[in-house]
Amino acid sequence: MLSEPFNYDYAPYLNRPKIVWPGGKRLAFWVAPNIEFYEYAPPPSAARSVWYRPEPDILNYSMRDYGNRVGFDRMADVMAKYGVRGSVSLNVALCDHFPEIIERCCELDWELFSHGIYNTRYLYGMTEEQQREIIRDSRETIKRVSGQSLDGWLSPAISNEATTQDLLAEEGLLYTLDLFHDDQPMPVKTRSGKRFVSVPYMMDVNDVPVLNFRNISPQDYLQLIKDHFDQLYEEGEESGTVMCLPLHPYLIGQPHRLWLLDEALKYITSHDGVWLATGREIAKWYLDNHYDEAQSFIDSVKGAAA
Amino acid sequence: MTIEPSYFEYPHRGPGMDHDRYEYRRLATAKPVTWPNGAKLLVWVTLHLEHFPLNMPSKPFIPAGGMSRPGLSVWDYTQRDYGNRVGFYRLMKLFDRHGIKPTVAMNSQVAVRYPYLLDRIVERSWEIAASGTDMGHLHYGGLDEAAEREQVQRSFAELRRLSGQAVTGWHSPAHSQSQNTPDLVAEAGALYIADWINDDMPYSFSTANATLTQMPLSYDLSDRKILYQQALPSAVYAHQIEMACQCLRQEADTRGGRILSLSLSPWVAGLPAQIRTIDNLLGRILATPDTRAATGEEIRGYWVESTSK
Repeated sequence: MLSEPFNYDYAPYLNRPKIVWPGGKRLAFWVAPNIEFYEYAPPPSAARSVWYRPEPDILNYSMRDYGNRVGFDRMADVMAKYGVRGSVSLNVALCDHFPEIIERCCELDWELFSHGIYNTRYLYGMTEEQQREIIRDSRETIKRVSGQSLDGWLSPAISNEATTQDLLAEEGLLYTLDLFHDDQPMPVKTRSGKRFVSVPYMMDVNDVPVLNFRNISPQDYLQLIKDHFDQLYEEGEESGTVMCLPLHPYLIGQPHRLWLLDEALKYITSHDGVWLATGREIAKWYLDNHYDEAQSFIDSVKGAAA
Repeated sequence: MTIEPSYFEYPHRGPGMDHDRYEYRRLATAKPVTWPNGAKLLVWVTLHLEHFPLNMPSKPFIPAGGMSRPGLSVWDYTQRDYGNRVGFYRLMKLFDRHGIKPTVAMNSQVAVRYPYLLDRIVERSWEIAASGTDMGHLHYGGLDEAAEREQVQRSFAELRRLSGQAVTGWHSPAHSQSQNTPDLVAEAGALYIADWINDDMPYSFSTANATLTQMPLSYDLSDRKILYQQALPSAVYAHQIEMACQCLRQEADTRGGRILSLSLSPWVAGLPAQIRTIDNLLGRILATPDTRAATGEEIRGYWVESTSK
């Protein structure tokens, strides 16, 4: 196994070339709802256990199913109230299971990107050709249901293979969310040398790790989001930052948590320097305006070390 | 590690669910439900009475509250038993004061072991729902069907015999089912189950024997999850319940009647440090306009009536 991912070079968060977002905005805010389908009886994986209890794990299956029955619409209503579009981290099989959810996403002008086929099918152990098959399936499904191109990627259940980023770049995607190494977009090094961007996807404010893995109250989660935003907003004056709020409708769409999303979006959208963007818009702007400068900066840092 | 071609086959990839238990339903576009007498929000209080045997198995998993000490788990045993000795009576007085009839989801062993406690439930005509035999006998994937049938039958038979009630509801201990649990529960004459946590409203649930109603019993909002498993302060528990109450009550104005599920365990909510929080909370919830308490069987009946119009 590799000792590190090798998808990027060191870039200190100091003296970087300045990023300015469209309209002179200083923070690009984007929301990434994970719209997922976990299988009731998934095929076993050699890499990990799929469910937590002996199957059928109806507790955990139904907990996630809540998002598609109830949570999604509540979350979407609150986002629409504040003019915040979603960039959907999508298990693409969901397009076939629940087309009406996808129809609403399209009506709301949301971006769709791939989070694999199902959240219970992992990339672990796949050959390059097998991974390409998942990418192709994602591209065709998203095109068929929305007319959109497949530009972004978050590996299903964050399962990665060593060649995943290389393949994404070769298959023509613009950006990846698999790397959590930075608060700004960054060039990703891949074997083809194609221009490929890492867009920040922030696990620290993602509702799954925060609410499922840490015992944190909704009030504290709201404060965490505000604190996270305040700091990035301040730093964005020096050079544009990104704040991503990754969500799961099965968690945030609960009646006891919806209020905190409302409060968080009210707070964030009340700031003038915020660009309400999608993942694709951030990646494209960065590619067109800042990617080359960033690459030169990274090269100069490397040179200085030599 | 080689991934076989079969890993790329998706046999259920098509419209609807990937199993046959229920149909997909999007709550936001579902036909609005009406409750009797103009009620908008029904509060379903469930009281979970359980017996945790000292020698309960740790496989396939230890349910919340189960025996966790390296040797004899006297600590866990006695703290759970506290609920049936002390906590229950604190909550009983509280429910009496607020005029609430809860649904008591109980292991049949509690009724067998504590007839005095059962009498208090029966004399108040609180609803009894079956919840297995005891916490050492979970229902889970891989459990032998004949053994599970015996557990289900025994739970219903003992509770019906000892209480004289019809006992139409079922809650699987620790929200855990085998592939067969719903079929066996329907076979035993149940009308509703409350195990799946995928909805805020009831829905129809298919079994090999009869169609059941699956009732929304909260897991995330249970006292056990927030106060015991997450060990969060009472104020955080109360705030979450109140926010849920607000959200659901508001939604009911435009989208039809809603249910607030309050899942309480006497070994958690019945503790001295929690009881006043529960008291205040019940007071505030029941003071919400167009809100009243109802039992599981009542709510099931209202729902069936409203949706069959």
